[in-house]
Amino acid sequence: MNKLLAALITCAGMVTAPVAMAADFPAKNIQFVIPVSPGGGFDTYVRAVAPIIERHLPQSVNIVPTNIPAAGGARGAAQVYRAKPDGYTIGIFNIPGMLVPQIRGDSDLQYDLKKMTWLGSFGQDGYGVGVPTASPYKTVADLKALDRPVKFTASGPSSTAYSATMIATDMLGIKREIISGYKGSNDYVLAVIRGDGDAVIGPLPVMEKFVESGELRIIGTFEEKSSVPGAQNAVEMGQPDLSKLSVGRLVAGPPDLPPEVAKTLSESLMAAMQDPAMATWSKESGIAVEPGDAASAKGILEGQFNFYERYSKYLGPAN
Amino acid sequence: MLDVALTAAGNVFTLQSLLFLTIGMLIGLVVGVVPGMGGTTALAVFGPMTVGLDPYSALSLAGGLMGAVSFGGSVTSILINLPGGAPNAATCLDGYPLAQQGKAGLALGASASASSVGGVIGVFTLLLVIPISKKIVLAFGPSEFFLLATLGLVTIAACAPGRMLRAMIVGGIGLLFAFIGFDNVNGGTRFTFGIEHLWEGIPLAPAMIGLFAFPEMIELSAKGGSIAKDKGQVGLTGTLDGVWASFKYWKTLLRGSLIGTLVGAIPGVGGTVAAFLAYFSTVQASKNPESFGKGNIEGVIAPEAANNAKDGGNLIPTLAFGIPGTAEMAVLLGVLVLHGMEPGPTMILHHEAEIYGLILTLTLSSILASVIGLMMVRPLAMITRLDAHILVPSVIAISFVGAYANNSLPGDIVLAFVFGVIGYLLIRFDYPRLPLVIALVLGELAERSFAQAMMISGGSWSIFVTRPISALLFALIVMALTYPMIRTLLQRRHSVEEVS
Repeated sequence: MNKLLAALITCAGMVTAPVAMAADFPAKNIQFVIPVSPGGGFDTYVRAVAPIIERHLPQSVNIVPTNIPAAGGARGAAQVYRAKPDGYTIGIFNIPGMLVPQIRGDSDLQYDLKKMTWLGSFGQDGYGVGVPTASPYKTVADLKALDRPVKFTASGPSSTAYSATMIATDMLGIKREIISGYKGSNDYVLAVIRGDGDAVIGPLPVMEKFVESGELRIIGTFEEKSSVPGAQNAVEMGQPDLSKLSVGRLVAGPPDLPPEVAKTLSESLMAAMQDPAMATWSKESGIAVEPGDAASAKGILEGQFNFYERYSKYLGPAN
Repeated sequence: MLDVALTAAGNVFTLQSLLFLTIGMLIGLVVGVVPGMGGTTALAVFGPMTVGLDPYSALSLAGGLMGAVSFGGSVTSILINLPGGAPNAATCLDGYPLAQQGKAGLALGASASASSVGGVIGVFTLLLVIPISKKIVLAFGPSEFFLLATLGLVTIAACAPGRMLRAMIVGGIGLLFAFIGFDNVNGGTRFTFGIEHLWEGIPLAPAMIGLFAFPEMIELSAKGGSIAKDKGQVGLTGTLDGVWASFKYWKTLLRGSLIGTLVGAIPGVGGTVAAFLAYFSTVQASKNPESFGKGNIEGVIAPEAANNAKDGGNLIPTLAFGIPGTAEMAVLLGVLVLHGMEPGPTMILHHEAEIYGLILTLTLSSILASVIGLMMVRPLAMITRLDAHILVPSVIAISFVGAYANNSLPGDIVLAFVFGVIGYLLIRFDYPRLPLVIALVLGELAERSFAQAMMISGGSWSIFVTRPISALLFALIVMALTYPMIRTLLQRRHSVEEVS
């Protein structure tokens, strides 16, 4: 009997433990998983925001950015998914980059984005169409009017850049041929400038840098209101749904994170993104931050799931 | 430009910047020596620590580190046949035989001076070509990448004199390994045997560690004794001779440096290709190609010069378009972003002084790192006199740690072991190991660029000869394939004439 009682007490202790833990969260360093190699955009965001989040946490602990590349990010995502739901492991997610493998049904995928605890968003980059400065094509309609397939440069067929090019050209009714296999957005934008293809569909911030240096012209943006002067927006191109094409940087923890812990993390993240230090960094580096809370991150995720499920036939072969 | 350069110099020659330069160099030498740890990992770990200080401290740290890593890596290549990083593998080919002959000091001296001069030449070439950097980067498209990779693959035929067929068999096996992982052109993963670890392909660092260090250690433990066969005459005195050797073979030095700069300038090709191309062009240009691989000092000078010169070359795409030429440069750009510098095609316009600061620190560090390195040559060369029962377990342990340190993946340790076994079997049955490395490094680039070039040209093969640089590379490939034959023919005719 005593044994049973002891067991019950132990069980009760285990149930109440997370609550006790949540009250003094965080009590140790927090690992911030970056599922790609050092040096890229996602890495940069985390390394810039980590020291600022530290200032806004109720207890003074370190946020440790940890790069876990491999398997196209799936390994890092799986690590966050499988982590103990105590708030000491969180990660940054490329949406739709990490979402597409899930819809496509890649084998051995060891995470489920729908079950994760979403904490916030650094914002989304829109897509657009670019051509080399010297190109004779001035509008998307010019590309559409060609009687031959338009050559677009993109990364491999399993990538979101490739899917985005397939989806957008289909919606816009452009005959396409995709020159694939480039390694990342800088590479395929540079490829079109070099003359490997006619046009490129890529993230606007990457293309804008090449516009500033005079090599590229953006002829259309997939935004509801175009942020590039002289470029048509999604509505003017007759396809408002194009604005769903974007690259989002979302932050999440493992499934079933205790609500108090999630709240602490989410609020510190939000406070850090709204911190003047972050604004200064954003202004100097030219990298935009659009702070979004847990609810907006969840909203972005659901919207992207709906969009890509509709276009699942363009998502390339499953891995 | 001069006033900007002076501003940069003023900012680099401050106590704080010089302190960070020194710290960077020391870190660089240490991580260079540890196999598997490269400049990329070190920069990712230490770079963010400079946040809050002025950008010059970050640039000094990065410049110091990048200039020193390759020399650190060549130390272990020469002494224990364990390349510190993939680009150092070429140094093993003649450096280790020299150490076995008791001439470790000579090899290390040559490595130090060749690295320094190579680094300086790389930076000066960079300064000369800054005005045309955009043109250089845009001149290299998929058809050029394919031909450049082919040029590298062609060297397989030349890398084992007298055993060409064996070299080509091993090269073929290497290509099979190279195609494992993501198929970048058609999508999906290939030949992974359902192992998630192989999705990103065979990582170079663990493969090299296994291929080079393990078989050597197995042999050494079987034989007993030490690396230097005659303990009495281990050349701790040859260091200065080695330093001068680089200048004596100035043509080799210059060729290596220029190849390094050029290959460095092409984004996505990297230091490993630079070092191997420099090595083989030296073998081909030599009057005694058969002396390579047995301890020819020129075989140390060329890859070492190329390996350091590539850092200057790497900056060309970075300055032209703000795109990194290597993973190392990508991390550096990430660190610069933390300092509020925006990488991109406009970086050179907005941050001219900082860029010249980086160039200056790179120059300083490629010279100073070699000086510090030379001071350590004496104790380091003693490693070759250590007895097998001490050396073998230490090297094997360091190798496993190095294989893991690269990406903190336990699977890489398994891979290092697998490649260790492959390497041992190759040695045991007298097959050269090098073709496997060359194929592993170049296979994916060759395949992807070929497919892209075909898509661009609409399936027409003429793309490989109608573009000027492609045509030039094509001619070089033809020359590399026919030159040894022609030379043999000429030599025969010559000896026939002498006899008659």
